[in-house]
Amino acid sequence: MNRYLFYIVLLNMIVNVIIFVPKILIQYRYEGAVMGVIIAIPIGVALNYVYSTTINKFPEQGIPEIIANSTHRWLKIIHLCSIQLIWFTAGLITLVGFIDVLARFINPEMPKLALLVIYLAAIFLIIQLPTQRVMYFLEIVLFINIPLIGFIILSAFTNEYLSWDSMLEVGTHIFERPSLKSIAAATYCFSSYSNLIIFNRVIKGKLKIWNFIAIFFLGIFNLFTAFFIPIGFHGSDGAQQYLYPWISTADSLRLVYSPIERAIFLFLMFYMSITLISISVNWHVSLELIKGTFKDKVSKKKNWLVLIFYASCSAAAVIYLNTVLLNKITIYWMICRFGFEIFLVVLFFLWARRRTA
Amino acid sequence: MLSGCGFKDIDKRFFVMSIGVDVAKNSPKKYLVSLKFAVPSSSKDNPTEFMIVSEKADSMAEAVRIIKTKVDKEIDFSHAKVIVYGDEVVRQKENEGINYWFNRRRDIQSIAWIAIGKPSALDVLKVQPKSEYIPSNALFLTLGRDGSETPYVISEYIFDYKFRLIERGIDPLLPIIEAKKDILEVNTVGLLNKKQLKLILEPEETKLLNFLRNREEKSANKVSKGGTTIVIDTHKVKTKYKIHTPKGKAPYLMVKVSLEGIVEEATRTVPYEKLSYFEKAAEKKLNKDIENVLMKIQKANIDPIGFGLRYRSRHFNNDDWEEWKRIYPKIKFKVQSKVQIEDTGLIE
Repeated sequence: MNRYLFYIVLLNMIVNVIIFVPKILIQYRYEGAVMGVIIAIPIGVALNYVYSTTINKFPEQGIPEIIANSTHRWLKIIHLCSIQLIWFTAGLITLVGFIDVLARFINPEMPKLALLVIYLAAIFLIIQLPTQRVMYFLEIVLFINIPLIGFIILSAFTNEYLSWDSMLEVGTHIFERPSLKSIAAATYCFSSYSNLIIFNRVIKGKLKIWNFIAIFFLGIFNLFTAFFIPIGFHGSDGAQQYLYPWISTADSLRLVYSPIERAIFLFLMFYMSITLISISVNWHVSLELIKGTFKDKVSKKKNWLVLIFYASCSAAAVIYLNTVLLNKITIYWMICRFGFEIFLVVLFFLWARRRTA
Repeated sequence: MLSGCGFKDIDKRFFVMSIGVDVAKNSPKKYLVSLKFAVPSSSKDNPTEFMIVSEKADSMAEAVRIIKTKVDKEIDFSHAKVIVYGDEVVRQKENEGINYWFNRRRDIQSIAWIAIGKPSALDVLKVQPKSEYIPSNALFLTLGRDGSETPYVISEYIFDYKFRLIERGIDPLLPIIEAKKDILEVNTVGLLNKKQLKLILEPEETKLLNFLRNREEKSANKVSKGGTTIVIDTHKVKTKYKIHTPKGKAPYLMVKVSLEGIVEEATRTVPYEKLSYFEKAAEKKLNKDIENVLMKIQKANIDPIGFGLRYRSRHFNNDDWEEWKRIYPKIKFKVQSKVQIEDTGLIE
């Protein structure tokens, strides 16, 4: 099993437990979200498999290196001039969403822009590192946080207030026609394999089938946790009222013998670092792709220009997007991303087959 | 930073320990809201000082804003762990505003306990048991089951209260705290429908309800048979129930209770051979008692255990809730209990 691939896939799964995916799925719980999740699992794993094994044929190369000497100019343009936007916006919505969470629960009196500055400073430090080091950083963060988050999730599963009847009640709506929105949201949990577009640089050796079996089971567990646990705590009828279903769920856990009785603060503390590294990974990919677009080596000035663009975009987003609007935009972003993801995987698969054949 | 403090120092904050809501008397306003603050004291001589500030208002938000003008420090709700509704508040309808205020505010914990105060919420807040060394701590310990463990207390968190207010098929229940002179007594439970208080259970019925919810296993059960009265100290109680809707016949609800324990007290010697004789008697009594409680709850048309939710979760059709509303008033309860007395304690 290749552990770097595993970390990359795991990262998106963990991040999506808290912000957008549960909210979207729970909103459509009676209108086909259950079927959507069930359909999303094979789609997600299949995309994972196709893309990872295809890019695995080019060992230790990112896309900029792979297509550097390609004759297909149009492919290069599509691949490098637009897809940075997808990665950049992926990081951006996570950033804006989490800043909102922090401003609400941790520090309501601090201006959001001040929170953003702190985050951006750390992110900019990380994204300019070489890919290998970003990977090490990711490994350390996951290594420290996953056991603790796992503990909180476990205590949610064993809580006596978790109503399995409510979860089953949502389960009985399995035969509703699946909605595209819920499929798009559920596949997002699997979609961080696409970070391999750059992170393939650090992946050594052939990928084994075990990777994908592990991803399959983790995906099921992850989607179940993200979707059903808030329903178990807040009810099949009541869970959709919450702005952040999983954070309210963490607030409903009482850790009697822990130093802090309210699990929500521990939960948010762990997620601060997880979100930081998730945004950094997304933006690192985006930055490297932009660098790959230019023909010659990127000068310091150009690099700074890109970073300033990132910073001003996120400042504008934090100022102008409120939570309700952000949630609305995210749903449509998810659908666009879903379509684009399939397009990208199929295109790359066909191109690689012609190339290697 | 951890408790969401922003930039205000701790000495400029006033921590609310418990919140009381009563009906305002002789006033056009709807509620009387009381906040119990912990007063930090510099000496150890009198550590349980507190202060109660009340205000009449039509809504929680207004009341809190006015109370802010009566105290010198910023009010901090992050340690408010008990919310007490006065008896009259839960008897009236249209409390939605205050019910959801607690969930809407980000700084009130979802794991605060909620209860009914008798004779009024303010009276409950005023009680200061001698054993208490932090204001409201006696309430925290009782409701949190960290202190005494008893089957007569049914505690309820604010998030679970909201869950029950909204979920179709399960109704809210709140413990009733009675303020006596120096003591707080919690041994009954008030059952609500989605709007107001409907039924108050006696202590013994509260215990049986706790059995039915699988929440407490330590209890004492009295059985009399043939002139001998024994008390069984239980250490394991398990309940399962299933809803049967046979075609063409009346629907019934099968409740299976299994109870294990030892004899703690007996008015005469109980030989080991006769234990099964007492087990039979205990089973018969338990069957009847549980059935009576269930029928009492059914008559009030409320559902604190969640039978309706169970029915909804086992049926795939979309109108299962409407079906259940037709079934519930005429459903029959069949209780099968199994009592196992393991021994008679250290002596026969």
